[in-house]
Amino acid sequence: MGFLDDVTKLISNIPFVEKAYDFVEEKLQIRGKVIISFKELEKPLEFEIVVFKCYPLKYNDADSIKFKNSNLIEYRHVMEDGAICIHTTHHTNLKSKLNYDFHSLRNWIVKYYINKEQDDHYEHIIVDDKLINNRYWSYQFTDLKHPFEKGEFGEVSITSIQLGTFKSNLISNHIIQNFIRENGEQLECEWSQLYKNMDITNSGAYVYIETPPATYGKFIFTKWLDLQDHLPERFLNFLLEFQKRHIKHRGKLLPLFIGYKIDDVNLHWQVAMLEIGDFPIIGYQLPNKKWITIPKNELDINWGITRNTSYKYFFGRGSFSQSFAEKKILIIGVGALGSMVAKTLTRCGCRFIDIADNDIKEPENVCRSEYIFNTGLMDKTEELKFILSTISPFIETNIVDKDYFQGIIKLFHKEKGGKSSFEANLNKYDLVVDCTTDNDLMYILDSLDLKCDLINLSITNFAKELVCAFHPNTYNFVMNQFMNVLENDTSDLYNPTGCWSPTFKASYNDISLLVQMAIKHIHNLYETGSRKTNFIIENDSSNLKIVEY
Amino acid sequence: MATNKKEHLQNVLETHRMKHVQNLVDKFKTKRNEVKEALEAHYGSNIYYSFDSGSFKKRTAINTKFDLDVVVPFKKDSFETLEKMYDSLYDFLYEEYQDVTEEIRKQTVSIGLIFEEDEDGDKICLDIVPGRELNQDQYSEDNKLNLFVYRKYGIFSSSTHIQTNIQAQIDHIKAKENERKIIRLLKIWNNNDGKEYKSFLLELITIKAFEKEDISGNLWEKLEKVMEYIKDKVAEDGFKLIDPGNSNNDLMDTLEDWEKTNLSNRMETMLERINSNSDNIKSYFPTNKDFEDDDKSSNSSGYGIKTGGAAYSTPPKNERFG
Repeated sequence: MGFLDDVTKLISNIPFVEKAYDFVEEKLQIRGKVIISFKELEKPLEFEIVVFKCYPLKYNDADSIKFKNSNLIEYRHVMEDGAICIHTTHHTNLKSKLNYDFHSLRNWIVKYYINKEQDDHYEHIIVDDKLINNRYWSYQFTDLKHPFEKGEFGEVSITSIQLGTFKSNLISNHIIQNFIRENGEQLECEWSQLYKNMDITNSGAYVYIETPPATYGKFIFTKWLDLQDHLPERFLNFLLEFQKRHIKHRGKLLPLFIGYKIDDVNLHWQVAMLEIGDFPIIGYQLPNKKWITIPKNELDINWGITRNTSYKYFFGRGSFSQSFAEKKILIIGVGALGSMVAKTLTRCGCRFIDIADNDIKEPENVCRSEYIFNTGLMDKTEELKFILSTISPFIETNIVDKDYFQGIIKLFHKEKGGKSSFEANLNKYDLVVDCTTDNDLMYILDSLDLKCDLINLSITNFAKELVCAFHPNTYNFVMNQFMNVLENDTSDLYNPTGCWSPTFKASYNDISLLVQMAIKHIHNLYETGSRKTNFIIENDSSNLKIVEY
Repeated sequence: MATNKKEHLQNVLETHRMKHVQNLVDKFKTKRNEVKEALEAHYGSNIYYSFDSGSFKKRTAINTKFDLDVVVPFKKDSFETLEKMYDSLYDFLYEEYQDVTEEIRKQTVSIGLIFEEDEDGDKICLDIVPGRELNQDQYSEDNKLNLFVYRKYGIFSSSTHIQTNIQAQIDHIKAKENERKIIRLLKIWNNNDGKEYKSFLLELITIKAFEKEDISGNLWEKLEKVMEYIKDKVAEDGFKLIDPGNSNNDLMDTLEDWEKTNLSNRMETMLERINSNSDNIKSYFPTNKDFEDDDKSSNSSGYGIKTGGAAYSTPPKNERFG
């Protein structure tokens, strides 16, 4: 039997398939129809079925079976062509896979067609990515402190971030900086200061219509006609004026952001790309001499791409707890360990990380730290600040005076008032991480009366062990570990070019393995409120083991 | 080379002796005498002679962290209430020393004075404990005092005052040299490890261990047995540490259940680590490096380099990396 017969026969045998008919074979797929009927379903439902010949395997990442009924598009998880959006389990056996997929269809019918259930989460409007003037256009927005009111409109200031390739075509990427209300009030997007300080490169307009610009709440409007009831006349006049003011840029694209609520708290923006000089609006003078502006209803809307890059979404897939992420953190020493700590904390959602180091990044540092080659020689702190900002648009990083910890503190810690001044400077932070491996600094920090938490991190040669100590038990513990307890073999070190101290041998993989485990353990101590007990991570090449003290 | 635990602990005690900081101790005593004289001049016949208590008096002080405690016994008729007594003392000390102190703070039953750094960078800390005799003229017979509880905490959480006999507390540790050594070691550990536990609690639990168990052998063996005792008993239901100054006070009530478990676990971890590698004893019971004998520090008692002396241009073993 061929694929067509197999599929038809197996589908016919599924208990709640009342009828399977009109099955035909095409080049890459087979098509047919089924009637589904079961007890809870008042009237049988008919679906058109398309089964790709790769079935039961997926095609790319999509299921290779489609169930379509264009009368059902108002229901949840139905695409514009009537295809039901189901995600089923992997199986390589045709019969089993058909059974799974038909049961998924049945489950969809029960949940969304019969019971009309709503999902807990918001399903975003479906917008196809579209080439406009031979490229894609993307705009990222983030949270603002201010709410919007229905019908309000104004201008938008925008910063261009990177040109790139997207689906094999050019893409212009941007972030929204401010929404500027009619009265001139600027509503600032809550990016980090570094992003806020970037130059404004483009302008746009916005209108907040409150409800999604979509049919059935999920298929985005396609014609300006669909929007006509949502656009206040005053806004259309504003748009006409806006075009007049920017007419010297005729032919350039202008993004119009259309905002709406997605739940009680959050809002979203879609962007329609307008061509200056050819806005989809027209002004008429009425017999009473009054001018009105109306949209050109018959025109298609060219939708660009938007992304909600609020902190919540940016770190939605995985981050540290909010209480940890909000900590004001200082990392002293940003070599291999320190840069890995900084980068990991940034990727885990931490927002305030100051850094201190007086060292220069050399090309030889790159292979086992978070630094990059193409910046050449550079202060480690400057480069790390830049790197962290390329990861998170929410990270605030200040560079502490490069001589403060490894110079000034040592000169003045015995002076009257010296210690209390250092204590005050450190107590501005919630957490200080000393990755300097500077024993003298550790000695002084150990003697301070600190309100903040202080963690000391260092490793042995070959990254065989990582030593983590918590203030106030740092100096004695760490020194004893290195001097007496651990086998820190310093006879076999790497001698770099130039005249400076030999350094330890270990790869990025060796070090980051220990650092990641240490950070995970530390975060866990904070989360569980457990006692912050000094620990060693031992790496015996096949196992990592935390030994608490 | 393994650490000789007994020798190391002896060195720990030696380097933490108060004689190493005699100049500083003298400064404390001078300042204490000044304050005592000022109090006697101000309160006159309303007080009995003030006296020292705390670790100095009990000879359990260590030179890395200490303060001087002075008890001021007031007569019954000196104040209507204990609160007025406490406030009067605070007001007097504030008026008298506000210009020369960093901080004058109200503590659980005492008033803490932290004097400004002197030219040597030293800070003098005094704790003044006001107490009032229970009945007129009774103090000279029974040494009992009522203390005002300013900060409601632990066993004091529901009381406004507490009865105590500080002299009895001092007498409780008299002539107990072995116990004092272990108490000092446990204080050194506690100071080094976050100061989570009150010294008085460590003191009472050590004395109780000596009373209840056969604590004998060399210094390490004694310490080990006391630590075993703490590990085994501290989290047990019904385990009490009665204040010798007031049989109604159980010091164990100052700890939450999780704190008792933590203390037991700390002892267990320390014993495990030290017994698996004797060098670990130095992580928990460090010597005071400021007063270490160079000859001793280069052998097993200090941070002596296990692999021998470092050769020229070879980084030392304590070279850390990151």
